[in-house]
Amino acid sequence: MTESPWEILHLDLAGGVAEVARRDHGLFLVLWWGALPLGAKALLPAETPLGRDQLLALASPWVADQAWARARGPGAAPRAGFDGQPHHDLSLGDAARLPVLERLAQAAGRSGQGADRLAVIVCTRGRPGMLEACLASLAAQDAPPVQVVVVDNDPAASARAVAADRPGVTYVHEPRPGLSIARNAGLAAAHAEFVAFTDDDVELHPAWTGELVRAFDTSGADAVTGLVLPASLATPAQRAFELHLGGFTSRFTPLLFDPGFLEETREAGPQVWRIGAGANMAFRRASLAGLGGFDERLGAGAAGCSEDSEFWYRILAAGGRCLYEPRAVVFHHHRRDWRGLRRQYRAYMQGHVAALVAQADRYGAPGDLRRIRRQLPVYFARTALGAIQTLDGWRLRLLAAEVIGWTAGLQYLFRPGWRRRPGVAPGSRPVADIGAAQHA
Amino acid sequence: MGYRLVELDLAKPPAAIGLEPGQSGVGLLARWRGRPAGFAMIPRPDGRGMSAAEVSALAEARFAHAVLTLRAAAELDALWGEPGPVAPTSLTIAVCTKDRAARLARLLASLAALDRSGFCSVEVLVVDNAPSDDATRRAVAGVAGVRYVLEPRAGLDFARNAALRAATGDYLAYLDDDVVVDGGYLRALAAAIAARPDAGGFTGLVLPFRLDTEAQVRFESRGGFGRGFRPTEFRQDRFGNRLHPVGAGILGAGCNMCFDRRLLLELGGFDEALDTGAPLPGGGDLDIFYRVLRSGRPMVYEPGYAVFHEHRETLEQLRRQYWTWGLGFMAYLAKCRRTDPELAGRQRAIVWWWGLDRLAAVARAALRGRRTELGFAWAELAGGLQGMFGEYDRSRARSRVIREGVA
Repeated sequence: MTESPWEILHLDLAGGVAEVARRDHGLFLVLWWGALPLGAKALLPAETPLGRDQLLALASPWVADQAWARARGPGAAPRAGFDGQPHHDLSLGDAARLPVLERLAQAAGRSGQGADRLAVIVCTRGRPGMLEACLASLAAQDAPPVQVVVVDNDPAASARAVAADRPGVTYVHEPRPGLSIARNAGLAAAHAEFVAFTDDDVELHPAWTGELVRAFDTSGADAVTGLVLPASLATPAQRAFELHLGGFTSRFTPLLFDPGFLEETREAGPQVWRIGAGANMAFRRASLAGLGGFDERLGAGAAGCSEDSEFWYRILAAGGRCLYEPRAVVFHHHRRDWRGLRRQYRAYMQGHVAALVAQADRYGAPGDLRRIRRQLPVYFARTALGAIQTLDGWRLRLLAAEVIGWTAGLQYLFRPGWRRRPGVAPGSRPVADIGAAQHA
Repeated sequence: MGYRLVELDLAKPPAAIGLEPGQSGVGLLARWRGRPAGFAMIPRPDGRGMSAAEVSALAEARFAHAVLTLRAAAELDALWGEPGPVAPTSLTIAVCTKDRAARLARLLASLAALDRSGFCSVEVLVVDNAPSDDATRRAVAGVAGVRYVLEPRAGLDFARNAALRAATGDYLAYLDDDVVVDGGYLRALAAAIAARPDAGGFTGLVLPFRLDTEAQVRFESRGGFGRGFRPTEFRQDRFGNRLHPVGAGILGAGCNMCFDRRLLLELGGFDEALDTGAPLPGGGDLDIFYRVLRSGRPMVYEPGYAVFHEHRETLEQLRRQYWTWGLGFMAYLAKCRRTDPELAGRQRAIVWWWGLDRLAAVARAALRGRRTELGFAWAELAGGLQGMFGEYDRSRARSRVIREGVA
């Protein structure tokens, strides 16, 4: 894992036969069909070149998946099961008759939607250079959003110089540390029907805003998430995160998470983190009324992360629906060095445990605590055995960071004060009400 | 104890599947437009058959996506237009056999029924390997268009090399005598060769010929020779598999493989110290897959290029087969270590990986109290241990004696 930087190649197959020439470095190949991302594959130098027939073999299962997932029309998606995998519902009759490429062509058209009902919130902390690139990609959107809110979470206000004087940008300085606090400050400053969040280490696909609005309009969902592709795979740590650990989201077909997804998973623990990533998420403002914003005990700067997935949990528990729509694409700059990646994984695990505790306190589903006690230790053991078998030292070191994060996360179980502290703003609906409404 | 083997045409409404007394499950081979699209082993321990609705639900859950994928490939193929015309090639099919005239006749009959239009010529060679009588010669004499070659030196790879010397085709396909070819065997091989003239070799799907005994059912349920229903290409490296190409078993099986004949000649043919029959019956296919990939030529797995293999009949035979897998794999690795030091790291890592994997299989079977499984897992591990300690050198010495003894 010490080779030269990898190349990321985006290839659109809608234009006809394509080929990939021989490379002498690794290649992350992303196939598209017009506006539709089909799938991605990592290729070693020896696995290139790719001719017509290799691309056909690579693309056909992805094309079939798209035709199936998008056969029910715009805005409708297969339902997610408890593990974040779609419920299988392709009938043999449909498999035999579905016009595959016709469906693909229908789904591959660009969004014609404007984004004048969408506000974009970027929370940033001490990374003005990256924020600059992020804001440039926002300015280059095919459908410009009505408002861009930059929440500067740096006490030294390092983003002010980059963001404050940009046209169309609302600059908010929120010196109290914590990503949840910053995101809530952004929510308060955003005035639009839809609000989208992204991070300062992200660059946006030009169609991003238009695709988000289209996804809301066609699906009626309360939250939309999208695909996070790597912006670069220059270092071994970046490649490990994207290619071996799965990155943020790597599914290319849409998926609907509805209250049934929570119901199915009370025992096993709902895998709400599969809904998406905080770097690419949006909400219908009206659906947030009464939910009280992001839990300020969670997220970077507090427990570590999972403030996004805990929020989706509340949306689902209140009877809402979240749509994962991979046509809305962002590009994320992964951590460049191993230390950064290990810190990230430690924070992920600590935040994950904290969110599980918070969810268990709020809704009392047994699966969440069982995940802390049982599923995670089993996952650690399995990962360790696998890494020993494949002699992957980097995975063991990363696992150590995860175990440390998990151990640190256990504190929240034993801190009654933390568990009683209201993590969300007052005025949010009491838990009992939500449960009652859902079962009524 | 056995399973009923049923073919299912996915384009037609499924019918109920009845079981005969003694049958305890169904092996279901699904086809789409004649092409194998999926295979499922369905235990029915109570001996009841499957209603049409049950078959339909199962087919939907297991095979619907495969059908859609095949159709997506066909639509893309049509959209992108035919690739340029390819000069048709000639093929030699070599069947290496030893004292199994009845099975050989069965295979030759299945070959005679094929449509040969994908190749400009197809010749069939039967290599009679150190026969104890003339039954094979007589079985071949009755079949038109089959050439008989005698290889007196005992050992499968002596026989394969004899076929290589006698063959005239551009491509040389090998079949074991315990298989029967599928109706699409030649058509799919011709299409694969036309699509990938740069490939050095091809492997294909191996399905069960029958599932009448406990051993056959167990073997197939443990994965059999199955390598799946998606075309796959292999080159010198494979992302996500750092042990590739040393773990050459994922490419396919020696009972159904085909090579560019000139490449095989350049590589010097098969290693006669592997696949020597009783003392070391295995490893030759892994060795040739590895050497083809290391020559820089890709290999292609094509599921339509399919055969049906008669699995071992008794549990004792099956246990011995797992033993030979361990033995052959480690003997092959010993050879790799000696001849290809460039990949020494991967060769060492796979010994570690394989040892832990098989140890885990032994532990699992022991913890669950599954005696038969334990026997299989242990046999493979024991074979591997024996192979690790000098079996390749012993086999080389033996094969030298055989070579000189007859020459």
